[in-house]
Amino acid sequence: MTIQANETLDATGLSCPMPIVKTKKAITNLGPGQVIEVQATDKGSTADMKAWADNTGHHYLGTTEEGDVLKHYIRKASESESKEETKHEDVVDLENLRQKVEGDEKISIIDVREPAEYAFGHIPGAKNIPLDQLEEHIDEMDPEEDLHIICRTGNRSDLAAQKLAEKGFKSVKNVVPGMSSWEGPTEKNQD
Amino acid sequence: MANTKIAIIAANGGLFDAYKVFNIASVGAASDAEVGIFFTFEGLNLIHKDAHKNLPLPEGKEHFQEGFKNANVPSIEELVSMAQEMNVKMIGCQMTMDVMNLDKDQFVDGVEVGGAASFIDFAKDADMTLTF
Repeated sequence: MTIQANETLDATGLSCPMPIVKTKKAITNLGPGQVIEVQATDKGSTADMKAWADNTGHHYLGTTEEGDVLKHYIRKASESESKEETKHEDVVDLENLRQKVEGDEKISIIDVREPAEYAFGHIPGAKNIPLDQLEEHIDEMDPEEDLHIICRTGNRSDLAAQKLAEKGFKSVKNVVPGMSSWEGPTEKNQD
Repeated sequence: MANTKIAIIAANGGLFDAYKVFNIASVGAASDAEVGIFFTFEGLNLIHKDAHKNLPLPEGKEHFQEGFKNANVPSIEELVSMAQEMNVKMIGCQMTMDVMNLDKDQFVDGVEVGGAASFIDFAKDADMTLTF
């Protein structure tokens, strides 16, 4: 699985507490929503990264292994994101979306999270168009179609839904809250 | 953990003690907690300009020296400067300094000097208080 990150931190060969301390320093320089890849060989670092992300409000995406090297992916949180401010009026809840996903009806889901978040788990069939690339990829979506926009907590998808409605898309639904509470089927990126 | 406070008492002066203190302190600070350490009695070794660069291993455990090296564990010197960078508050115990005839200049930069009341003031609303 190939995962994009905005920044890579080499913490290989270092033992506790250095991977955490270095991650802390590196993430300070990232913009909200950006993803850092932390390479480490400390076997305890997976548990530590999860716990640290929990305690600092950042979002631990997942870990991959390449030989002895663990690659941890963490997304820097922005403050507005944990608060959910829904402005796009047409919303659909997860239960409703799940019924559609599991039903026969063919539906379009646009996942506006970062590629690294999408890589570690998305709804089967969902198309990944990160929020900041929405305009460049606007031609890939059909303005006449029912579109379901999803992110992690409903905030980015809200912005995306508003943007699409503004551009003349007829039926845009913001899925709330988002992947953070999704209990239906997911799949990971395959190589 | 932005609203969490960790108060640590460092009362021993060996290499093992130093790692316990500075590992917890630096990860606490990296997790956005406010961390303060009160160095008292032999704990003062951990911030003494010369002594902290060459802290003793417990008797009979000298062979761990190699283990530290193999595991690529950072030196205490590195951990101290990291703690300083992350604004860990370090208080040296005035009374012990008087007893041991030590001066503030002999400690690493950024160490404040205070009595037990300074620590109590810091620790009174701490979420964790640890003693090493």
